[in-house]
Amino acid sequence: MKILASNHSSYPRVGDGPGEQKHRQAYTRMERGEISEEEFERVQDEITKEVIQRQISAALDIVTDGQIRWHDPISHLARHLEGCEINGLLRFFDTNFYFRQPVVKGDLRRRRPILKREFEFAKKVSAKLLKPVITGPYTLAKLSINRSGSGLRSVVKWFTKVVSEEIADLVEAGASLIQIEEPAILRNPGDWEVFQESIEELVSSKGSSDLLLCTYFGDAAPLYQKLSKLPVDGLVLDFTYSPKLPETISRFGGGKKLGLGVVDGRNTRMENSDEMTGVLRRIISTSGPEEIHVMPSCGLGDYLPSDVAFQKLKKVVEITNTVRASL
Amino acid sequence: MTRKKLEKLGLDLPLLPTTTVGSFPKPPYLLKARRDFMSGQLKSEELRALEERATKEWIKFQEDMGLDVLVDGEMYRGDMATYFARNLDGFKISGLVRSYGNRYYRKPVITGEVKWRGPITVDWWRFAQELTEKPVKGMITGPYTMMDWSFNEYYPSRRDACLAMAKALHEEVRALAKAGAKIIQVDEPAISARPEELHEFAVEAMEMVMKGVDAYFITHICYGAFEFIYPGMLDLPADNFDLEMSNSELDLMDMFRAHPFTKDLSFGVVDVHSHIVEDVETVEKRIRRALEVLKPEQLWIDPDCGLKTRTHDETLGKLRTMMEAVKRVRGDVTLEARVRE
Ligand SMILES: [Zn+2]
Repeated sequence: MKILASNHSSYPRVGDGPGEQKHRQAYTRMERGEISEEEFERVQDEITKEVIQRQISAALDIVTDGQIRWHDPISHLARHLEGCEINGLLRFFDTNFYFRQPVVKGDLRRRRPILKREFEFAKKVSAKLLKPVITGPYTLAKLSINRSGSGLRSVVKWFTKVVSEEIADLVEAGASLIQIEEPAILRNPGDWEVFQESIEELVSSKGSSDLLLCTYFGDAAPLYQKLSKLPVDGLVLDFTYSPKLPETISRFGGGKKLGLGVVDGRNTRMENSDEMTGVLRRIISTSGPEEIHVMPSCGLGDYLPSDVAFQKLKKVVEITNTVRASL
Repeated sequence: MTRKKLEKLGLDLPLLPTTTVGSFPKPPYLLKARRDFMSGQLKSEELRALEERATKEWIKFQEDMGLDVLVDGEMYRGDMATYFARNLDGFKISGLVRSYGNRYYRKPVITGEVKWRGPITVDWWRFAQELTEKPVKGMITGPYTMMDWSFNEYYPSRRDACLAMAKALHEEVRALAKAGAKIIQVDEPAISARPEELHEFAVEAMEMVMKGVDAYFITHICYGAFEFIYPGMLDLPADNFDLEMSNSELDLMDMFRAHPFTKDLSFGVVDVHSHIVEDVETVEKRIRRALEVLKPEQLWIDPDCGLKTRTHDETLGKLRTMMEAVKRVRGDVTLEARVRE
């Protein structure tokens, strides 16, 4: 069995030191029209490179681009779509982070590939496996205002088509591991049928890549059995909401790949490594997945200060190494 | 029932009492002074003097507007959570955390036992109250919001952290009441963050804050999602719920029709997140809609949240509109009330 240390998704773009304000300052200057969007893109390239370097220096096996260019998990994709407008701010689940809410007016179409260029750049500057992250169609639909006149099923279908095209582009650009984030399903288990249809359709465009289906900000235990039967290559789960999750996974099996979000990405408190390695060892010995990814419970970019985020990644690595050594 | 409580406290308020949620915009000279203070170019006494000047100006402004229940305007506060965290034991302040887009803020971090070390807002309340005959509200950030907006490195659970906050804030509320505050507002914008926690501990926490204190309590709740906590939120022991409603009045009125609203309601009738000043007719219509489901004795009128993000002129415009709309409706309801008697 392989045990890998992985980042989840986003990473802070701004720190507290005087040298860590580049993104924030460039953003302000771009808004004031003092620099062009192309110049701002170059700053974002630079920060992406730094963030990948930081993840590698923490000794992670799997890194992300930190989603430096993402305004938020919802509007980053939606703002590039025809058939949809971007509205005001809304609280993202139970966090103090706010996203811009899309208003869906009808069928959705990409104006151009969205994540491909971002992925190509990040892959080029990363010496470690780079995992692109996409918010899933169901969560995109559920967090949008629907003014299309059609029901949720149609809106999910439209987003599914768009996300499928994004996945196909990423695979073509060389992505071998892709994370689809669907936190909204945990709060709306009644929509399972629509959700399942959408995931099945995404899987048909994944080619040779592995798809990880990811949930967070809720207890995945009640849905675990159903989630584990979906035709994806692995699940990524948030353990901070779920006292029963380790037991549930042991009961139903860990599947092919399993992402264990055991390091709390929402709180600055540092985990007790012994406690965490105990939990991991139990899951590994009872459920036997082929590959384990030890990781934070959610993206770190919108919830933690930069210095703490880095400590959390080091904690991920520390736990990974201890578990590895004990096998 | 709560009307009686107000009378017992010696408060003689007209029907449809008017108030504001708490914050007013900081004048440019105070914004500059705060920056200078941060960079060490201004002494804390000098900053304090300018905060007092701004507080005086806003008290006068509220009196000129004809508001019934005043606020100190929060000239001395930065952020509503970190302000209390800095003045309680057990906290430090975090590095920058993203809020949205290019906005960042600092969060309180609970690193030890949370304790009240002495009055936090009482001096400011007293300062403001001495400037006016009108009642000034005491203002605190509630225990649930303090917990939800802080990192917790000390307490084993959210519940423990919240109840510890409640214990500390109870001391502050007692100190406010002892100083003479008869109306105390407990701000709980985050209360709908995790609806299941309302009855797990949020109600209990608010009970701890208010227990045994003789005052009329208002709780301000915003950032929506009322559908998940209504009618359960009526179990919160406040006399008056101050709700952000100008954006979603239809839904809320439907909810109140389905399950009657049993407390007093401060009805947020102007949108503080928009630069546009509503016209009087729109606001008047909102108030009359509220009166379809609430008794006039239950209803207070205010903006839907703090005004600190608006300009001086927008604040003036919005409050003028609100007062004019109240005047139009007040005549009718006073008459109706008399007819009923
Ligand atoms: Zn508010």
